[in-house]
Amino acid sequence: MVAYAVAAGERLPQVVAGVGAAGALTAAFALVLRRPSVFAIGIVGVGAAYAVFLALRHGTVDTRAPFVAAAIFAAAETGFWSVEPLAARATGQATVRRTLLIAGSALLVALAGSMVLVISSGVSGGVALEAVGVAAAAGTAAVVAVVAARAGGSRPS
Amino acid sequence: MTRSATPKLVGYAGLAAIGLLAALAARLPELVVVAGPFAVVVAVGLLLARRPDVEAAVTVDRERVIEGDDVLVDVRLEVEVGAERAEVLLELPPDLEAKGDNPVLLRLKDGERRELSYRLHCRRWGGFGVGRVYLRVHDAFGLLRHETELDERVPLKVYPREEELRALLRPTETQVFSGNHVARQRGEGIEFADLRPFAPGDRARRVNWRASARRGALWVNEHHPERNADVVVFLDSFAEARRADRSTLDATLRAAASLTGRYLTQKDRVGFVSFGGMLNWLLPSTGATQLYRIVDAMLDTQIVLSYAWKNVDVIPRRTLPPHALVIALTPLLDDRSAHALLDLRGRGFDMVVVEVSPLSFVPDPRSELDAVAARLWRLRREAVRGWFERAGVPVAVWDETDETSSFAEALEEVSAFRRHARLAPV
Repeated sequence: MVAYAVAAGERLPQVVAGVGAAGALTAAFALVLRRPSVFAIGIVGVGAAYAVFLALRHGTVDTRAPFVAAAIFAAAETGFWSVEPLAARATGQATVRRTLLIAGSALLVALAGSMVLVISSGVSGGVALEAVGVAAAAGTAAVVAVVAARAGGSRPS
Repeated sequence: MTRSATPKLVGYAGLAAIGLLAALAARLPELVVVAGPFAVVVAVGLLLARRPDVEAAVTVDRERVIEGDDVLVDVRLEVEVGAERAEVLLELPPDLEAKGDNPVLLRLKDGERRELSYRLHCRRWGGFGVGRVYLRVHDAFGLLRHETELDERVPLKVYPREEELRALLRPTETQVFSGNHVARQRGEGIEFADLRPFAPGDRARRVNWRASARRGALWVNEHHPERNADVVVFLDSFAEARRADRSTLDATLRAAASLTGRYLTQKDRVGFVSFGGMLNWLLPSTGATQLYRIVDAMLDTQIVLSYAWKNVDVIPRRTLPPHALVIALTPLLDDRSAHALLDLRGRGFDMVVVEVSPLSFVPDPRSELDAVAARLWRLRREAVRGWFERAGVPVAVWDETDETSSFAEALEEVSAFRRHARLAPV
């Protein structure tokens, strides 16, 4: 993913490579030390490299974005799976099932991403639409943070 | 049941928030494509999250087993609301070892009944409760984790295995009930004792006609009656020597259980005293029930550190009946037990001491100073043995780890001492 961003970049590939390498190293460090929270930062770093690549390029949308999204999603899923603190050993059947689930999800992400790109490229923006977008994104983040904070505390049933 | 968020939930929420805000700030729809799936997973995962509902029942194929045996434990799970991944852990004490996977990872479907079988190897004696099940359930997206503890414990008693015994120690004095020991007294019995002149009231069947013909007067046979005995198994639980999963207490309990079983089968009354940081005792009695009582009491025996000076006065009087044979099993690691035993001997009890040797538990000396200390310690033990020998108490040393030494041989050594010493009741 980082290699794609560096290879396809038009300007300042060193910056993209630097950000991407930092993210990848952080993710690798988290995998070795089994730190899921650090792994998320590593994924953010890898995503940031792609964001820098997008910001530095000119022209239309990146048509390979759905594949990049699928790759990042699959990497995140497998990464969190590997650092999951499971005490029990998974059976072969469970492993195959989960692997297929991740592969299917990644495919779904690629398809949905393609649809989003097609739709977004045909719609012209406006101040109102952008305000709604900002509010929706901020609201989503707030709701997710609240739910995560509630779920984080142990609650006896 | 407690619920908690996994780091994945927090990570995905953060990824989604950062990605979507960056997409808006930089006007990059591609970042929406990248960050959107994380937001969707978090939203869908939280919307579909369910609280699992699982009940458990635990059964054990046997409640009483011998050390070294295997026991089957079945855990039946009744699943009302299932989960994608459930880790099931059967909590086991260190002395029980599961053969096979524990914990196990399962997929629990709604309304399902699942049975898990565990084969447990009982490595060491003890009384255990088996059946506390820990359940950790993850949802399909791995965002939430539910944990609960299902306490369905059932008792499992692991009795110490028996040591080989060839012959038992014969008590100096017997009791009044019939048993298997030839009494020193004369009376109705099988074992010939002596001849004496006929006296009015003697039965004709007791006349020894051959002796009477030779002496020209009636002489009758006298016999020793067969009587039972009182035996008290005295366990020194002040201290033990332990290394890894072996200890002198284990050997002591195995020997005590073997002695108890053998004496009870020959109609003797057997009592039990565990003398140490915690005092535990059982009055002498007979029968299979007493065997279970004593072995159950032995399972409660543990080494409790105590600095209190204790003597035999703390033992209830009826636990040590007069003329009882006291068989003391001790590692001779604590002077308090040695003094108590000598006190008992001073009060006239017929006593033998089997020393369960702790020497094999002592690490090799690493320095000259260590070697001198070890030698002094050994000399000190010799001195303690000398106290007993001077009091007329035979001491046999039994080293469980020595293949050339056995508990049966230790008892025979004691028997030989008693035979040659011709111990008389004090």
